Amino acid sequence: MESVPERISVQTNVLNANQQTAAANRERFANEGTLVMNLMSAPGAGKTTLLEATIKALQGKFRLAVIEGDLQTDLDAQRIQALGVRAYQITTGTTCHLDARMVARALDAFPVKALDLLVIENVGNLICPASFDLGESLRVVVCSVAEGPEKPKKYPVMFNKANVVLINKIDLAEASGVDVNELLANVRDVNPNATIFTLSSRTGEGMTAWTNWLQQAVATRASAALVSV
Amino acid sequence: MHEISIAESIIQIAEAKAREQNAQSIQVIKLRLGTFTTIVPDALQFAFEIARHGTLSRDARLDIEIVPMIVRCVVCEASTQPVGGICLICEQCGFPLEILSGEELRIEYIEVDSAKEQSSWSQYQNEFPSRPMY
Repeated sequence: MESVPERISVQTNVLNANQQTAAANRERFANEGTLVMNLMSAPGAGKTTLLEATIKALQGKFRLAVIEGDLQTDLDAQRIQALGVRAYQITTGTTCHLDARMVARALDAFPVKALDLLVIENVGNLICPASFDLGESLRVVVCSVAEGPEKPKKYPVMFNKANVVLINKIDLAEASGVDVNELLANVRDVNPNATIFTLSSRTGEGMTAWTNWLQQAVATRASAALVSV
Repeated sequence: MHEISIAESIIQIAEAKAREQNAQSIQVIKLRLGTFTTIVPDALQFAFEIARHGTLSRDARLDIEIVPMIVRCVVCEASTQPVGGICLICEQCGFPLEILSGEELRIEYIEVDSAKEQSSWSQYQNEFPSRPMY
C-alpha cells in the first residue's frame, strides 16, 4: 500500500453552510420588506410572555407572524395563536438551537408573504443560538433581573451579538435582591452598542418605550423596502 | 451540545474537499478556534469522535489551534487580551473596544492519504463493495 500524505488548504468557516442558508433567508425577507427578529434568552426569562405583551400592544398596527422554536411541545405556538396571530412551531427534538435550514424549511410550510414583522422565538438557551445566524435583521436578547446581574458576563458572546437587550421582570428586582444598574452596566461592558430597554411584560412597566421603538423599526424597514423596489 | 452540529459541519466540509482531490482518507483536520465563540474544545473533540464514524475522517485527528481573544480600543488603539471577565470598554480611555481575534471557527487545511497507486484496501473495497466496514 503506497499512500502519500498530502496537505490540502481548506480555509473555510465551519458555519459556512448555515451562513449561506441564512443569506438566502435574509434575501427572501428583504424582498418581502419583512423585519425579522431573532428573540433569544435563557429558559424562563419570559420570552413568550414578553412576545404576548408586545403583540397585544401592536396588534392591528401591522401584520405579524411568529415562528416558535422548542425542543418539545407546541405550547408556545398555541399561546400566540390564542391571540389571533399566525404561529408555526418548530420542534427541534434534541437540538439546542434553531439553524438557518430549519427556518428555511419552516418558511416553505409557513409562507411569510405580506408580513411586516416576523418574530422567530429561539430555543431557550444563552449559548448555542449565538452561533447560528437565521437570516434575521434584529437580534434581541431578553434577560430577566431574577437571573441575577452577572448573566451578560457569563454569556458574553450572546450579549455581544445582540442589537437590543430587554431587561425583563424589573418588578421582581427588589424581591430578587438585584441591582438593575449593576445588570445594565454588565450589559454595556460586553456590548457598548446595544439598545437597552428595562421593562416588565407582566405589569406593563417600560413596555411602551420598547413597542414604540419596534413599531418605528418596522415602519423604517417597510419604507426602505418600498424605496428599493 | 451544539458541538455535534459543529463536528458534523467540520466533517462535511473536510469530506467534500477530500473527495474533490480523490483522497482515500483524511488523517488530520486543522481547525482554528477562537476563545470568544461558544464552542468548548473538549466537547468538540468528543462530538468529533462520534460524528466521524463511516466517513473519510473515520481515522482522522482533529487538531484544534486555540486563538486567543484580542481586543483593541477604537480610539487609543491599545490592544489587550481580556483575562477573566470580558469588558469591551477601554480601561484606559472609556471608548469601545473592537474584537481583533477570538471569533475564529475555521478549517485551515486537511491532510489526506491520496493513493498514487490504488491501495490494496481500496481494491478490496471495489471487489466487495457491499462488505460492511469494521
